[in-house]
Amino acid sequence: MSELAILTENLAKVYPGVRALDGLNLNVPRGVAYGFLGRNGAGKTSTIRILLGLARPTEGRGTVLGFPIGREQVAILERTAYVSESKNLYASLTARELVRFTRGFYPSWSDKAVAKYAHLFEIPMDRPFAKLSQGNRTKVYLLLALSQEADLLIFDEPAMGLDPVVLDEFLRILVQDVIAEGRTVFICSHQLSDVEQIADWIGLIDHGRLLLEARLDDIKGQFRLVTAAGNGLPQTESPEVLWLASEGNFHKYLVKNNADAFAAELGRQGATVAEISPLGLREIFLAMVRKEEACTSGNTGEMAAPV
Amino acid sequence: MYFWKYWRDGRTRIIGSAIALPVLFAFVTCIAVRLGDPGMIQKGAVPLTSVAWSTATEVAFATCASIFALIWGLMLGAAASLGEDFKEKTVDFLLVRPRRRRYWAWMGWWAGVCELSVMVALAVGASFGTVVYLTGHVQMWWPLATILPFALGGALAYGLTYLMALVARSGRQGLSYGIGILFICLLLPTVASHYWNVNLPSIWGFMTAACRSLTGASGAFPFGALLFWTFIALVFPFASQLVLERREV
Repeated sequence: MSELAILTENLAKVYPGVRALDGLNLNVPRGVAYGFLGRNGAGKTSTIRILLGLARPTEGRGTVLGFPIGREQVAILERTAYVSESKNLYASLTARELVRFTRGFYPSWSDKAVAKYAHLFEIPMDRPFAKLSQGNRTKVYLLLALSQEADLLIFDEPAMGLDPVVLDEFLRILVQDVIAEGRTVFICSHQLSDVEQIADWIGLIDHGRLLLEARLDDIKGQFRLVTAAGNGLPQTESPEVLWLASEGNFHKYLVKNNADAFAAELGRQGATVAEISPLGLREIFLAMVRKEEACTSGNTGEMAAPV
Repeated sequence: MYFWKYWRDGRTRIIGSAIALPVLFAFVTCIAVRLGDPGMIQKGAVPLTSVAWSTATEVAFATCASIFALIWGLMLGAAASLGEDFKEKTVDFLLVRPRRRRYWAWMGWWAGVCELSVMVALAVGASFGTVVYLTGHVQMWWPLATILPFALGGALAYGLTYLMALVARSGRQGLSYGIGILFICLLLPTVASHYWNVNLPSIWGFMTAACRSLTGASGAFPFGALLFWTFIALVFPFASQLVLERREV
């Protein structure tokens, strides 16, 4: 059995006039929560569609749960649950009828899970899908995905329309009922604080390329915000300094790797280093994406140091 | 699961049609028989193989049932096609269920053909029942075999719209394309025969000829045409499968 839940090698997808994916190499370990982050149009949904067989890659290949994409798609789909970004289901069917329709496709389907999550999410099971609020539609989609008891759960913007209480409940379920059982969660969301709560690994994609893939803790350990005061300090970005901002004599540097050495170097240049502070996922995400935008000659992709 | 969903989605249409169609066809048959030969309604007065029967058959069954089967097939293809899943954006939900895409293409087609066949059987059955009731000849139920050519004609029209709706990603657009193509296909043999003296295969010609033959009115059963149109009817779900398998969502 493959140790990786998802593996892609040089995955590329070209739509007319758009290169949605450009040599994507993903390595998603089994049994983790993997946050797949990126801006709108970065290539997240294209990646998911290829993994699920909804679209074909232009180049490259990959496996999901050890099964090759495209060739053994039914085996992949039997073991994978998917919550799409659009959250569209059959308008005239009630949640109960959607459960009835879906359950027969999956050998691992759990009616016990249906009862449990329907109660937890307070889903109106007998109201037609078209008459449900956005939040309740999302809940129905989550119910169907969670009740599959799948080995891999892929969520594309799962929090859409959920109130904070249900969202918190959902994240708790992912940690306690899914990841704790050794199953894998692959989650795309713009709600970085939610991802940060549950993700073990992070993959950051921009313009179809993977900028970063590593454990969240390691990523957080690498990035520091160095605040210093002084004259004549560095004013340009570098491979280590991903972002900087200056106001008078005060300078802020977002530094990747060896922040202490960088601060010491500033000290040697006559600066007073006020603070070296850790960063949250949001700041790291913004720094990485902004750095990518600043590049004019294409990017080379950048991997965090191996763990 | 798919048949259950098909039933759940279309149960109002199916139940309504199952009630309305026999009534409609019984009524149309009554009128056709009375207009065809009033003498027929004197129970037992006219043998079933008579000219009067033939006239009534042709009017009541061949024409009405052919028109019904083709129109019903066209409309059903628009309603039941996977093209509607594309339009309603539910197709990504459907296609990530663990089945090959050919399963969806064929199940959708097969479910519609079953519904169509049941409706044709109800309509034709009501017509024959009415004729038998009016004429008093109860021994001649074998003309019910005309369900076959009508169902085949309907399946052809159904498959055409089914495919077109899938290509157009919309039932309504598929219906428009289907009507256009079927109209050309019905018109072309007549034009070719009239202007160039060329005999092109015609589904309308097949249905009426098969009906006349099966009711004993005239002619041999067109087995060659049956095979040809069966082949054509099966081309559409095959083509739908190919379209669906190559379609990116």
